[in-house]
Amino acid sequence: MIQNPCILTDVTKCIGCEQCVAACKKINGLPAEDAPPRPGNSVDGLSADRWTTIIRRPDNHFVRKQCRHCAEPACVSVCPVGALQKTAEGPVIYDKSVCMGCRYCMMSCPYGIPHYEWNSAAPSVRKCIMCYGNMKSGKISEPACVTACPQKATLFGTRDAMLAEARKRLKAEPGKYVQTIWGEHEVGGTSVLLIADIPLEFLALNQGHPLGDTPLPERTWAALKPVPFEFVGMGLLMGGVYWIIERRKKLALEAGGAAAKDTRGEAGHEK
Amino acid sequence: MRNNRMFVFKAILWCVAGLAAAVAVLRFALGLGVATALSDTTPWGLWIGFDVMGGVALAAGGFVIAAAVHVFHRETFHAAARPAILTAFLGYGAVAVGLLFDLGLPWNIWHPMIFWNIHSPLFEVAWCVMLYLTVLALEVAPVILERTPFQKAYRFLSRLALPIMILGIMLSTLHQSSLGSLLLIMPFRIYPLWYTHLLPELFFISAICLGLNMVMFESSITSWLYRREPETKMLGGLAKLASAALAFYFVVRIADLAYQHKLGLIFAGTWEGNLFILEMLLSTVLPMVLYTLPAVRRSPTGLWLISMGSVLGFVLNRVNASGLSQVWATRSFYFPAWTEFAISLGIVSACGLIFFFIQEHFPVDPHGLNDIEEQRELADKSSPAFAPFTQVWLGEGWRKSARVYSMCFVVAMALGLTLAPKTEPAVTRKAERARGANVLRVGDGPRYVYFDHKRHQDEAGKEKSCGTCHHLHLAGDVGTPCSECHRRLFVPTNVFDHDRHVERAGGRESCAKCHGPGEPQALTVMKTCQDCHQKDMMAAGNTVVPAFKNPSAASYKDAMHKMCIPCHVTKAADPKVNLPNLGRCGACHDSGTQSEKAYKTEVPPGQEGIGRT
Repeated sequence: MIQNPCILTDVTKCIGCEQCVAACKKINGLPAEDAPPRPGNSVDGLSADRWTTIIRRPDNHFVRKQCRHCAEPACVSVCPVGALQKTAEGPVIYDKSVCMGCRYCMMSCPYGIPHYEWNSAAPSVRKCIMCYGNMKSGKISEPACVTACPQKATLFGTRDAMLAEARKRLKAEPGKYVQTIWGEHEVGGTSVLLIADIPLEFLALNQGHPLGDTPLPERTWAALKPVPFEFVGMGLLMGGVYWIIERRKKLALEAGGAAAKDTRGEAGHEK
Repeated sequence: MRNNRMFVFKAILWCVAGLAAAVAVLRFALGLGVATALSDTTPWGLWIGFDVMGGVALAAGGFVIAAAVHVFHRETFHAAARPAILTAFLGYGAVAVGLLFDLGLPWNIWHPMIFWNIHSPLFEVAWCVMLYLTVLALEVAPVILERTPFQKAYRFLSRLALPIMILGIMLSTLHQSSLGSLLLIMPFRIYPLWYTHLLPELFFISAICLGLNMVMFESSITSWLYRREPETKMLGGLAKLASAALAFYFVVRIADLAYQHKLGLIFAGTWEGNLFILEMLLSTVLPMVLYTLPAVRRSPTGLWLISMGSVLGFVLNRVNASGLSQVWATRSFYFPAWTEFAISLGIVSACGLIFFFIQEHFPVDPHGLNDIEEQRELADKSSPAFAPFTQVWLGEGWRKSARVYSMCFVVAMALGLTLAPKTEPAVTRKAERARGANVLRVGDGPRYVYFDHKRHQDEAGKEKSCGTCHHLHLAGDVGTPCSECHRRLFVPTNVFDHDRHVERAGGRESCAKCHGPGEPQALTVMKTCQDCHQKDMMAAGNTVVPAFKNPSAASYKDAMHKMCIPCHVTKAADPKVNLPNLGRCGACHDSGTQSEKAYKTEVPPGQEGIGRT
C-alpha cells in the first residue's frame, strides 16, 4: 500500500451516476437499499449504510462527499478511547471493540462524516475508511469507488501526485475551474481533494464560511496542555490558604484570649 | 402529624422514576434510535446537554462550599456543607447513570481506564468523573458512618477529611473547565456568542457562581419541605458572595466578547442574540444586582426565587453552548423526544429520593435530623388502622406510604411501557404529485426528479399504454397519479381500510365474502383487491404490479425505483437507443437545468406548498 494515499475528485467530470456509491456498498458489505431516513438527517446525504454519496447541485453539478481523511483529524483527537485511529499510511479507521459510543467524533467532524447505527442496540460509528483493510492486504490497489468511476472523475495516488495533477488542471483551464483545491490547506489539509467549477464550501458544516487552515485539534490541545499544572497549582493554592489561616488562628490563640476572640470574629466576618 | 408536602412530593418523584424505568427497558432493548430524537446531524441531545453538562454544573455547590468552609474557614456556611457535598455526590452519580443511557455501547464505559488518549477533552472528563466520584464517596462516608458501629473507619476518614476535600477541589477545577474544553473543537458548530477560547475558564467561573446559587436554592427548598426555619443568616452571606462572583463572571464574559468584536451580535435581533440576553439576565445580571440589596438578602422567598432563576439560567447556558447554539450551523431542528425527558427527569427524581432518604436517616444536617427522627418515631408508633365502616385508613405509618409509593412506581412504569415508541421514527414526508407531469420535487432545496410524461407516453405506445404504469384508475380519473396511494416518500402507506370494507359489505356476517368460509381470517387466504375492483384497476398491462395483495402501498421512492430502473437499464444497454447513461441515477435525479427550470416555470415561487396530495 502506498504512503499518504489521496483521492482527487474533479467535480466538472462527474455525471452523477453513483457507480462509486454502488461499488462502496458492495466492497463494504452495506445494504444496497438505504433505510428510510431518520427525522433530522439530511435526505439524500450520507448514512450508516452509505459511506459516499453524490450531492446534486443546481445546473448539473455533482459533488461527491466522503470522509476527508484529514492530516490532523478532529475525530481521532477527540475520541477518548482511541477507537478512531489515523493509520501510519494515512486513512482514518475505526475499531468497534474499543469504542464506547460517546459520538464525540460525530460532533467534532467539520464535514459531518461519521454516522451512527441508530436502530441497533449495539451501534457502531460508520464512515469511509478508504478501503484500508482491502488495500493493506493487497486485494485491491486503489479504493473501490475510484475503480468504479466510468468518467475518471475521481482519481487515486499519493497526495503529492494528486496535488500536482490538480494544479495542472487548474492551470490548463483557468477559466473553467475555481482556482482552489479544496482540502489542500483546509483544517490542516485533507487526503481527499476536490476541484470544481463551483464553490464547495457547502461541504462543511460551517454554513458556507471558510473553516480556516488551523488544524482543529490544536484548539483543544492548547487547553489540555496546562492541565497537570492547573491541577497541582490548585492543590498548592488551597493547601497554602488553609495553612496560612490555620497558622494565623494558632498565633492568635497563643497571643491570648482577647486576641482569639478577634480572630474568630475575623474568620467568620460574614456574620 | 405527617408532613403532607413531603409525602406528595415523594409520590411525584416515584411516578417519574417509574416512567423512566419503563423507558430504560426500551432504550437498552431497542437502541438509541427508538428512545431518542437524536440524528447524525445532532448526535448529542438532552442527555448530554442537561444530564451531563447541567448535572456536573449543578454539583458545583459541593466543591465551592467545601472550599469556603474547610479551606477558607467560613464557619457560617457549615450547615450547608454536608447537604452540598451529598448533592454533589448524587449529582455525579446522576451524570454517570445518564452517561450509561447516552453511550451507544454502555458496557464499554470503563474503556478510558485502559485505552488512553490524552488529547481528548472527553478523556479528561471521564477520568475526572471517576476520580471525583470516588473522592465524593469518601467525603460522604463519614456522614453515613457517624452513628454506626464502624467507629474506627469513621475516625480514620474524618482525619483524612481535609486532604480529601482539597483533592476534591482540585479535581472539580479540572472537571468544570474540561466541559468547556470539550466544545473548543467545534468552532464551526457553536454560534460565535458562545464560542471563545476562554470556554474552559468561563465554565469554571460560572460553576462557582452556580455552586453558590445551588446551595442557596437547596437550603431554601429543604427548609420549606421539612417546614423548618430558613437559615436566613447563612443565605444572606452566600448571596453576598454570589453577587461578587457573578459580577466577576459578567465582566470576564462581556470583556471577552468585546475583545473579539462580537458585542454587536447580542443586540442583532437574531434568536441566538435574544437567547443570549435571556440567559445572561436570568443567570447573571438579575441575581448580581438583586443580591446587593439588603431587603432581598433578608427575604427567604426572594432568595429562593432568585437563586432558582440563576440556577436555571446557568443550566440554560450549558444547554445553549452544547446544543441550542448549534442549530445555527446544522440547520436541523432537534427537539427531545418525551422518552428523553422521562429519563432525564427520572434520574433527577431518583437522586432526590436518595437525597431525602439519606437526609432522614443519617446526620447530614444535625439540626434537622432530630425533628425528622421525632416525626418518624411518632409515625412508626401509630400503626395503620382500618376503619371498616368508612372504608378508610386511619392513622399513618410507614406501611401506607410505602404502598402508595410502590403503586405510583408500578403504575407509571406500566403506563410508560404502553406509551413508549417501539419502532424507530422515520421521515414521513408526503410524496408530491408530479407537477404538470414533468417534474417532481423530492426534498428540501433544489432536489427534483425529471420526468417527461409526454415522451414516456410516446415511447410506450400513446393512449393505450396508460396501464403500463398507472395500475389504479379511480372513478372520474384519467390515470390516477402515483401519489394517490404511494403517499409518503420513504415509508409505506396503509391503503386498505378494513372497517370501511366491513361496513360496505354488510357488517359481521360478511367476513366470508373476502376471507372464504371456514378459513382463518388472515391476510394469506384472502381475495385480492382486483377480484372485486378489476374495473378500477388497469393492472393487466402492468408488469411490475401484476396483482394487488398487499394492504400497504410501497413508499413513493421504492415504487418509482422498481417501476423506472429496470426499464431504463434495459434501454441503456440497447445499442439502438444509444443513451449509455440512461440507467444511471443522474438521468432522472439531475437537479439540474432541465428539471429545475421546468419546475420553476410550472410552480411560481411562493406556491410550492399548493397542490400537494
